Amino acid sequence: MENAAPLEGAGPAGGAGLTDGASPAAAAVTAPSGPVWRFLFAPRWLGWHLFMVVSFWGMLWLGDWQFHRAMSGNALSWAYTFEWPLFAGFAVVFWAKTIRDEFRIKRGETLTGSSEEAESLPFGVGTIHVPAAQSAVPADDEDPELSAYNAYLTRLNAEVKNHGRWHGLR
Amino acid sequence: MEAAVLRYRVMAYITGVVLVFLCFVGIPLQVAGHPAVANNVGVVHGILYIIYLVFAWILSRKLRLANKPTVIMLLAGTVPIMTFIVERWITRRFIAPALASQAETAEPVSPRAS
Repeated sequence: MENAAPLEGAGPAGGAGLTDGASPAAAAVTAPSGPVWRFLFAPRWLGWHLFMVVSFWGMLWLGDWQFHRAMSGNALSWAYTFEWPLFAGFAVVFWAKTIRDEFRIKRGETLTGSSEEAESLPFGVGTIHVPAAQSAVPADDEDPELSAYNAYLTRLNAEVKNHGRWHGLR
Repeated sequence: MEAAVLRYRVMAYITGVVLVFLCFVGIPLQVAGHPAVANNVGVVHGILYIIYLVFAWILSRKLRLANKPTVIMLLAGTVPIMTFIVERWITRRFIAPALASQAETAEPVSPRAS
């Protein structure tokens, strides 16, 4: 939830059939307040853009500096001559992918629909929460060991429910 | 998901150990006039860090991390000891909940037919 807080309402809730009615995100869904790309100009994102531009040119500059050191006889600098531009390239690729993913989330699409991606959906998205009352109270004919285990699962579920939701996970 | 976590964790520890060695063994030796260790270990760390970057990035995408934790995770490979701290933090804060949410999709065990 670090990104583009003002557009939270347009967030990922539509992504994969949110079935947890009690989740605050589901209650807060509102219409997007403008074109999808507007989040890119939120102050927080402008800061990230600046950070990326500075680090990109900074890394190229470091590569250039190492190149000059290498040319003046420092053999070790050859490794760094190639490494810094590589990092600069990583920065561009990572940044482009981050923005592309952000667009997909804002548009409510699921990220590249491989099954592994689907498995990594965060809490409350795409999963059906079993109501605690149902599984915690065992039917009479149930084996006590099994119902204890089910109660344990329910408790674990309740404990971790919504963890991380507002602290960086989308 | 588990594979991505494992790859990240292994690279975090390897990169972290090499960096600690570089900073606390290589640099003092360099200052003392023996630069060979720092030079070689430095290049090794450079290569390991590239691999670390890729694995950490892949994991951050799978976890759908926001920008700040992602950047912290990527830069941790350049600060001595920080790799270990960040790895623990990422595990507790993001990996554990994500893995738990995967497990959660499994329904409770249904009673045996009697």
